[in-house]
Amino acid sequence: MKFSSPLTIFFLLLLLQQTLFSAMTDRQFIENTCKGTPSPDLCLEIPLANRESENANLTGLALIGLDAVQDRGFEILRQVVDLKNSQPELTPTLDICTEVYNVVVDSDVQSSREALRGGLCKFAEDGMADSAVEAQACERSFGEHGQSSPITDSNNIINDVANVVRAIIRMLL
Amino acid sequence: MMRVFNRCVWSLALLICLLSMLSNFHGIGVMASHNVHLRYQTNNVDKVKQVYRTGYHFQPKKNWMNDPNAPMYYKGFYHLFYQYNPKGAVWGNIVWGHSVSKDMINWIPLEPAIVPSKPFDKYGCWSGSATILPGDKPVIIYTGIINEKPEPGHQAQSYAIPANYSDPYLRKWIKPDNNPIIKPIHENVSSFRDPTTAWFNNGHWKLIVGSKNNRRGITYLYRSRDFIKWTKAKHPFHTKKDVGMWECPDFYPISSQGTNGLDTSTLGDNVKYVFKASLDITRFDYYTIGSYNLVKDKYVPDSTSVDGWAGLRYDYGNFYASKTFFDPIKKRRILWGWANESSTRSEDIAKGWAGIQLIPRKVWLDPSGHKLLQWPINELERLRDQKIELSNVKINKGDTVEVKGINVVQADVDVTFTFSSLDKAELYDKKWENFPPEDLAKSICGIKGATVQGGLGPFGLLTLASSKLEEYTPVFFRIFKTTGKKHKVLFCSDATPSSINKNEYKPSFGGFVDVDLTTKKLSLRSLIDHSVVESFAEGGKTVISSRVYPTLAINENAHLHLFNNGSENVMVEKLNAWSMKTAHIN
Repeated sequence: MKFSSPLTIFFLLLLLQQTLFSAMTDRQFIENTCKGTPSPDLCLEIPLANRESENANLTGLALIGLDAVQDRGFEILRQVVDLKNSQPELTPTLDICTEVYNVVVDSDVQSSREALRGGLCKFAEDGMADSAVEAQACERSFGEHGQSSPITDSNNIINDVANVVRAIIRMLL
Repeated sequence: MMRVFNRCVWSLALLICLLSMLSNFHGIGVMASHNVHLRYQTNNVDKVKQVYRTGYHFQPKKNWMNDPNAPMYYKGFYHLFYQYNPKGAVWGNIVWGHSVSKDMINWIPLEPAIVPSKPFDKYGCWSGSATILPGDKPVIIYTGIINEKPEPGHQAQSYAIPANYSDPYLRKWIKPDNNPIIKPIHENVSSFRDPTTAWFNNGHWKLIVGSKNNRRGITYLYRSRDFIKWTKAKHPFHTKKDVGMWECPDFYPISSQGTNGLDTSTLGDNVKYVFKASLDITRFDYYTIGSYNLVKDKYVPDSTSVDGWAGLRYDYGNFYASKTFFDPIKKRRILWGWANESSTRSEDIAKGWAGIQLIPRKVWLDPSGHKLLQWPINELERLRDQKIELSNVKINKGDTVEVKGINVVQADVDVTFTFSSLDKAELYDKKWENFPPEDLAKSICGIKGATVQGGLGPFGLLTLASSKLEEYTPVFFRIFKTTGKKHKVLFCSDATPSSINKNEYKPSFGGFVDVDLTTKKLSLRSLIDHSVVESFAEGGKTVISSRVYPTLAINENAHLHLFNNGSENVMVEKLNAWSMKTAHIN
């Protein structure tokens, strides 16, 4: 068989295009998914920070999202421990936040994860709906005690991420 | 010239095409990596240096840890305290580290709970236990070092109570001034430590303290009506000559039926008792099963329970200073144990940490009544991620079968092996009875490693294996024929080939498995976590934990294989293996 130079080059170009195309499809899938959530930019940060999201499907993305909620929840719980030492006057409110975020990281995330893995997407949504509520409850309790919240950003992020993950889960229904 | 060039380019293009297809199958892809900020990046310890830190075993962020202390449950949280050096990666400056958890797998770290602050613990806050008094009131009793001499320290027991009972984290503890409450008088003042959880009967709280008299191991019994004034019983609770110091004693009831745990004060029918001690000389934890003589207030081991160095161990590997507690929510008896490093002191200082806890285990009595069974708490299964399954895979002599598709350095592997005949099992050599009885299994594992061919076995797993098997940690079974159609099953976790680093301590840990081979099946579960391999034979009949430090078999360069080096073919009836997520611990 005679190999002609132009044919070889053409083949190489085809190969390059296929490679780029496959990468673009992954990215396109994630972008499209995130467009359907309340916070598309925040949504994009979650899978792109996680290697496993390459070739993840919708369920995979949701599971990665649950990990992100749990990560942030544990981070807040650690922040609250530090705050109890540095700002002890906030203790009653911080106790409320401790309680609600322990529910988030343990019950909410765990039940959503199990529901997703078991294919029960309707129940998976409940865990994230509750997580958003718990984050709001923590933030609100500062105001109710006449205090200014030192963790507003953290609370808002969890609320937003939980809503993003909830939206992704709804796409599975 | 052009023709050769074209042919080369064509072949290269074909190769790239194939590789690209394959990589897409495995989900690696060729997407460019992004340097994404920001809010999602957790604090990164330099991962290049920290290849030995665990993903799901408890350890503090840095520095030295040893004994688990006062494990307990209170107001919705499990508590773990631990001997901790806040200043360095070697033992010293000891305080009580503290973490809380909803599931004993993910933890919230808190500030140290008990640090030297009073005359009665000025030189150290050593190990102790928690007792939950009526009304859900926890109290800790611990060993305080009141003087540096006589070495290793003048020891006495003191108590601490929560500063604020409504704090579910119990962050702060207060030490009343009427301490110490238990002082050594005639006892050896520098060997008088590790008070246990107390139990209540006949109007008194009772606890034991570990001690020795020359080479005799002793636990002294103390009684109190009010938990403040303690009186020493005239006789020791239990004692044994020639075993050496008994550290970290533990005494608890165990049900003779079922797998549920019992509250530490439980008495009655269908209740046996476990007495455990950490032997300072051998650095292993031993237990016996026996009965509690209420009249004499003494523990009596069953005659079938070997009491001494050759006795039963929770774990035939790196597992020390263990302690149990009763989980009142799930009605379990939970066992915590510490594994120190097998690396050198200077390596520990360089890496900045030393010591891990093994995964908490549920403990219950084997139906035979003669030994305990252990199994990792099932909350661990929450971390299971990608799964690989294999069924009916034959492994001939000399074969290895690689297990791919999971993160083999952070994994949970559960496998059942079957074989069709016991005929080829090699003979148990009577000369081995010359080995010291307490070291028998370990000695045989040492001379009959995974590369020594056998009849039925060795077969099992090659964990943390490097590409060319320069390094691997084999966990395996080897079956021997003894007299009169009987067999002995040896279970080994052999660190000898684990690392080309010559400085590490690489023991060939082993234990026998008491199992009926008529089923012609043996099961094995291994928890692999970077520098620890924790293995359970036959549903927890024999457990061995190894600490290993491979230099090649790390992260993406590590492999996991099934192997068989015996003339009898072996079948993997079923293998389930999972990547394990990283737990939240710090």
